[in-house]
Amino acid sequence: MAEGIILENVVKTYGSGDTAVHALRGVDMAVAKGEVIGLIGPSGSGKSTLLKCLGAVIEPTSGKMTIGNQCIYDNGWKVRDLRALRRDMIGFIFQAPYLIPFLDVTDNVALLPMLAGKPNAEARKMARDLLDALDVGHRAAAMPSQLSGGEQQRVAIARALINRPPVILADEPTAPLDGQRALAVVGLLNDMARQFDTAIIIVTHDEKIIPTFKRLYNIRDGKTVEETPGHHAPEPSVAS
Amino acid sequence: MISLAGRDILHGWGKFVLTGVGLGLLIGVTLSMAGVYRGMVDDAQALLDNSRADLWVVQKDTLGPYAEPSSLTEDSERPIQAMRGVAQAAGVTYLTMQIAHGDKDVRVMVVGAEMGEPGLPGQPTHLISGRQIVRGHYEAVADVKTGFAIGDRVKVRRNFYTIVGLTSRMVSSGGDPMLFLSLKDAQAAQFQKDSDAIVRQRARTDANPQLNPPGNPAVAQAVAAIQSGNSNVNAILVTITPDADPDEVAAAIRRWQRLTVYTRAQMEEILVQKLIANSARQIAMFLVILSIVSAAIVAFIIYTMTIGKIREIAVLKLIGTRNRTISWMILQQALGLGLIGFIVGKIAASLWAPFFPKYVLLLPSDSILGFVAVMLICTVASFLAIQAAIKVDPAEAIGG
Repeated sequence: MAEGIILENVVKTYGSGDTAVHALRGVDMAVAKGEVIGLIGPSGSGKSTLLKCLGAVIEPTSGKMTIGNQCIYDNGWKVRDLRALRRDMIGFIFQAPYLIPFLDVTDNVALLPMLAGKPNAEARKMARDLLDALDVGHRAAAMPSQLSGGEQQRVAIARALINRPPVILADEPTAPLDGQRALAVVGLLNDMARQFDTAIIIVTHDEKIIPTFKRLYNIRDGKTVEETPGHHAPEPSVAS
Repeated sequence: MISLAGRDILHGWGKFVLTGVGLGLLIGVTLSMAGVYRGMVDDAQALLDNSRADLWVVQKDTLGPYAEPSSLTEDSERPIQAMRGVAQAAGVTYLTMQIAHGDKDVRVMVVGAEMGEPGLPGQPTHLISGRQIVRGHYEAVADVKTGFAIGDRVKVRRNFYTIVGLTSRMVSSGGDPMLFLSLKDAQAAQFQKDSDAIVRQRARTDANPQLNPPGNPAVAQAVAAIQSGNSNVNAILVTITPDADPDEVAAAIRRWQRLTVYTRAQMEEILVQKLIANSARQIAMFLVILSIVSAAIVAFIIYTMTIGKIREIAVLKLIGTRNRTISWMILQQALGLGLIGFIVGKIAASLWAPFFPKYVLLLPSDSILGFVAVMLICTVASFLAIQAAIKVDPAEAIGG
């Protein structure tokens, strides 16, 4: 199976000297295309830092990152245009859908190929096809405010998939959803990963969906440990 | 690529248009202020044009008759008339006063002009109805802005005058409409004393043995006649022959008549550079303040609109939108706001201009200048918002 994303000994340190904060202490991770993995860890463990490094939003301190067989970081960025890298090779799904409120559903999805230089008509056709595949094609002309929460999340997934990126980063995508809907979204992401041959990393705290992952990375104190979902010990509840 | 600014404006068009209308009213006030200044200059030009004079002869060392008081005897007219290069010369008087009309007062400039020979400088022009003054006394021609109608009888000092003709755009440099009387009537209105003052003056004359020598009452009578005479004018308006040079004729009058003479260019300078200079500076200050206020408002609106979209901007940046595209979106919105504001302002200024008590002249060139200024102000005002948008970290879209 082709690799979607590989991280080798990725380190991220904020500051220096006595005040240095070691957010990532040598993270290793490999996710194949078509695979969906979970990334869990308590607050302050380095999940968000890892996600930002994976998303090419912040620069790691050292290590190596490869996306879709292209080395993007090897103790320094290997691509000049990180904006184009994010646009073409990484899809993002957020905790809230964060759709652009002044664009209709089709243009929310078509915006990425348009930014990549595709003609508007072609980009809109791609968007409509994808929306059909995600069962929200009938809401293609609606504005985001007219959609239900589930429909908005599907549109956000379509937006992440539209440029067929080798990797999609999903940041707590089921947080606002109840159990049934959360499982449905994970199921949909699994289907999409297979259908579009993309690696999906889901950062989550959601105990309901953790058992659905075939592989799970647990990040603690800046290091990842691969776990099997059945053997995952639930995080201690704040109330307890 | 779709227009992000256009979509954003369409999405919240009501708010955007209302904001534009608010800004437009401010721009309308700014355009009106410029129009007030242009109106003042135009009133001054109209005053000079309508007098049909090439030279203004006034009391020595004064800036009369419009900017300073000036008084000279009407006898000065005859020697001027006889000078080489002079075609016509006529005395005029100017007096600004309130005249009762119905239940309200009308502020007018009473002009006394010589009516004997048609076409003399100082006579009313642009007659739109009625006729010129043909009788020696108690007839008047009024500018339509006075609100008088033909046949109306108006009281000036002690006498009533019948309106026999109406003119248009005959105004003073201050924008007051003119009321023309015959020179004799206007002199009486301007210089004639009231009865009590005449009685007191006669008593003073009678008590003075030099003016009232015993046994010779004719002297006192002659003095009283001189004292009650009204032979002064404020200026003598002169037209020159086609072949004459105004500067040369003016120089000759200055030399031989020992009076102050102004050419058209000099009088224009007095009116525009001196008489309305303070008003012009006042208006310029208003224009500067209004421009700064407009810029601050646009900057605040665009900045607030941008700050309200920080999350969307972060998402746009995260998914690969260039800073240039986002900056262009903000600039387009600022320019759109300016465009709506300018259109509303121009319409508003045109609609309310006729209701101003003074003439408001909205020149197309000022509108073009205003449009360029609005667009520049909007461009500058959007910098703050663009700066804020550029500083947005795409990482803000990712939780944690």
